[in-house]
Amino acid sequence: MKRFSQLLLVLALLATVLAACTSGAQSPTAGPITLTDGLGREVTLAAPAQRIVSMAPSNTEILFAVSAGDQLVGRDEFSNFPEAAAAVQSIGGSMGDYNFEQIVSLKPDLVLAAEINTPEQVKALEDLGLTVYYLENPADIQGMFANLEIVGQLTGHTAAVTALVDSLRQRVTGVEAKVANVDTRPKVFYELDGTDAAKPWTAGSGTFIDQLITMAGGENVAASLDGAWGQISQEALLVANPEIILLGDAAYGTTAEQVSARAGWEAIQAVQTGQIVPFNDDTVSRPGPRLVDALEELVRILHPDLK
Amino acid sequence: MLEIHGLSAAYSGKHVLKQVNVDLQPGEILAVIGPNGAGKSTLVRVLSGILAPLSGQVFFRGQDIGKLQPHERAKLIAVVPQARSIPPAYTAWQVVMLGRTPYLNWFGQTSSQDEELVHLAMERTRTLELAQRLVSELSGGELQRVLLARALVQTTPILLLDEPTTHLDLQYQISLLKQVQDLVHQPANWSLANGHGAPGAMVVLHDLNLVARFADRVLLLVEGEVRALGTVAEVLQPELLSEAFGIALDVVPNPIGPHPLVVAR
Amino acid sequence: MELRHTARPYGFALLALAAAGLLSVLVGSVTLSISDLLEGLRSLGSGVESTAGTILFSLRLPRTILIAMVGAALAGSGTAYQGLFRNPLADPYLIGVASGAGLGAVAAMSIKWSYTTLGLLAVPLAAFASGLITVAIVYALARVGHALPASNLILSGVAVSSFATALTSFLMLRASGELRRALAWLLGGATMSGWQPVLALLPYWLVGLGILMTFGHALNVLQFGDDQAQQLGLPVNRVRRWIIVAASLTTAAAVSFAGIIGFVGLIIPHILRLLIGPDYRRLLPLSLIGGAALLLGADVLARVLLAPQELPVGIVTALAGAPFFLWVLRRSRQANYWS
Repeated sequence: MKRFSQLLLVLALLATVLAACTSGAQSPTAGPITLTDGLGREVTLAAPAQRIVSMAPSNTEILFAVSAGDQLVGRDEFSNFPEAAAAVQSIGGSMGDYNFEQIVSLKPDLVLAAEINTPEQVKALEDLGLTVYYLENPADIQGMFANLEIVGQLTGHTAAVTALVDSLRQRVTGVEAKVANVDTRPKVFYELDGTDAAKPWTAGSGTFIDQLITMAGGENVAASLDGAWGQISQEALLVANPEIILLGDAAYGTTAEQVSARAGWEAIQAVQTGQIVPFNDDTVSRPGPRLVDALEELVRILHPDLK
Repeated sequence: MLEIHGLSAAYSGKHVLKQVNVDLQPGEILAVIGPNGAGKSTLVRVLSGILAPLSGQVFFRGQDIGKLQPHERAKLIAVVPQARSIPPAYTAWQVVMLGRTPYLNWFGQTSSQDEELVHLAMERTRTLELAQRLVSELSGGELQRVLLARALVQTTPILLLDEPTTHLDLQYQISLLKQVQDLVHQPANWSLANGHGAPGAMVVLHDLNLVARFADRVLLLVEGEVRALGTVAEVLQPELLSEAFGIALDVVPNPIGPHPLVVAR
Repeated sequence: MELRHTARPYGFALLALAAAGLLSVLVGSVTLSISDLLEGLRSLGSGVESTAGTILFSLRLPRTILIAMVGAALAGSGTAYQGLFRNPLADPYLIGVASGAGLGAVAAMSIKWSYTTLGLLAVPLAAFASGLITVAIVYALARVGHALPASNLILSGVAVSSFATALTSFLMLRASGELRRALAWLLGGATMSGWQPVLALLPYWLVGLGILMTFGHALNVLQFGDDQAQQLGLPVNRVRRWIIVAASLTTAAAVSFAGIIGFVGLIIPHILRLLIGPDYRRLLPLSLIGGAALLLGADVLARVLLAPQELPVGIVTALAGAPFFLWVLRRSRQANYWS
């Protein structure tokens, strides 16, 4: 019964979102839009942007989520979600090197930059006569919602964004309500890159991975790591003895079998109980709406008994 | 002409020249002899400005050459080095022309007079036909003559030759020293361009028989000190040499020539 | 010195430079034709902004000029250093300017700067300063009284460089968020766009290379070793000091705006020496033209090989430059060309 009501709610929200979408596209907010971006620059658009270049995968995801996918004319090399992004012209971005000529020739009315871009790149684009908005990385989920609202304003989809944020908020609240009463907090090790099994790369405090694991009712064994990203020694890992190992590097071919076969790893509880789970790293490494998907996925893995 | 007063020098704290007093006269060959480590090459290095002396002074006609800039010194003293570490890809002509460096401007622009001098010097040292050959294509003797020509175009009153015969076959050793003798005793007019008169040559030599044959005077250095300075007859004495070189040596009349022979006993 | 002062090598080099320059202006992800170029020129006069005009004058042209200047700076400094140190492995980075600049750049990248003129120039400024400071440290360590032995310079250069490189790696591991940017910079893939870097580099380029160009004869004399050079009247230590100062200024300024581009400074002097012989009075000016042409060519390749993606030009200079160098080396078959 509870499940059914949830489904209804989701469907109702979806309908609102779709409605908001169409209305937003048809009648963009009139008048100029002025916002201060992450670099403290004041950015003014005469009207909602209609030709947008996205400089980061998270920005591309946000743009599609706020129903501005049709307004996207260029995206960076790594934007692979949603599938529709593949059809959009690539503007490079590997090694942090963007194809400015391509960007100029796309004649965008807005370039949406992110923190993976440098202030120098923003300046260079600005010097080319382009309007650039630098979307700062959010510090937490609430900050991500704020970013969605900014992009909604820039692209003229404020109504769609309101609905989107409402639905995302409810999902987060739902998770928080479920997790509030758990009495066990499983210890989790999140592997970013285990190429060197003696000291795999992982995420420490200050990262969304750490935040989401905590929100999902778990404990990140690397929380005390010095800095956001770093290598944890296998010895420290053995001492921490995680109950669950999440393979953020599954996309690069790392499998649970390989992890079990690593020398010395058999002493870890997660290996003994087979709790080694592949995880879509894109959902946690890109500060976009899929963070909420990641949160729900984490709850499913950490507390499978919670309904 | 060249007067060396109380010259001392050291390498990394070790004294290699101690209170050396020597002079060099125009038109003479002064041979510098002595066992290894006696300070012969050090003397050349100090005189040519590579090594600063600890104390003492060197005067050229009353002028303290220790105070000269490198290019001014190079107009007074030319050095014929051993024929090693000469860049292989230069032509003989290019090598000789570099002897004009102290007279050229910063960009190394050469004039027709410079070319004329190089031509004459190569003619005199019988290297003109080698002019367009690369250093790597020259024999040791040929290269040594090219280096002699390079020193000649510096038109200096003083020539320093640091063991010029070491890597040469016997016939080249003799012909090279004959040329030096010739240059010192019968200098060409063009080589006196600086108006200093006939040059004097200080030659570091190992072979005492070559000394006997070519030197006008001899300087015997032992452990950085002047052991003897004088004519060939005065310095090439059996007792002096035996003591200096630590081996019993005799000086005997040459049955087929005017110069005495130094032989091991 | 008898020199065949033929103009031919200059003619060939300038032709190569012109070809590479034209290619660099025309080729890119958006291909421009000669008529587009003329169109752009006309639009510049009329003041009408066109996409082709923006690409041409705000992106292509400044980049072409910057790349040419950087190539010339690296090759000119490399030629001077190979002559100064009489070492076939010498390049402009020999005594630490690149590793020092890399350290400064990566350190500046790990700090979040404000969006101001100073903040935007923090990376090149830090790279420039750190490059020069590193050379100064190497210089101070190598000095023995008034003398500056070449071997001391090379050895302390290697030691200080290793130290700076280790620090750079450490910073990169700590600030993994900036890893790609730092890596791109260290591989010469961080060329800044627009006219600003061109104008900023220009004074150092003119003064530094202007000084270096006058050292042709001095370098010729230096090939005979420090002792003989001194005996021939060359103020060896003064020459060494000036070449190091001029080459360091030029190289530090160049890498500040273009990142560390390897190989150009190493192979251009060798290629030219194989082709025209050991006279530095011709090697120096020709190395400027040759270095500019080579780096422009490599940059065109970097832009088209994986278009629309761009490769760091440092990778291309090594990938394309090494086989080219070997080809020249095998063709010439001179046993003893190095001097």
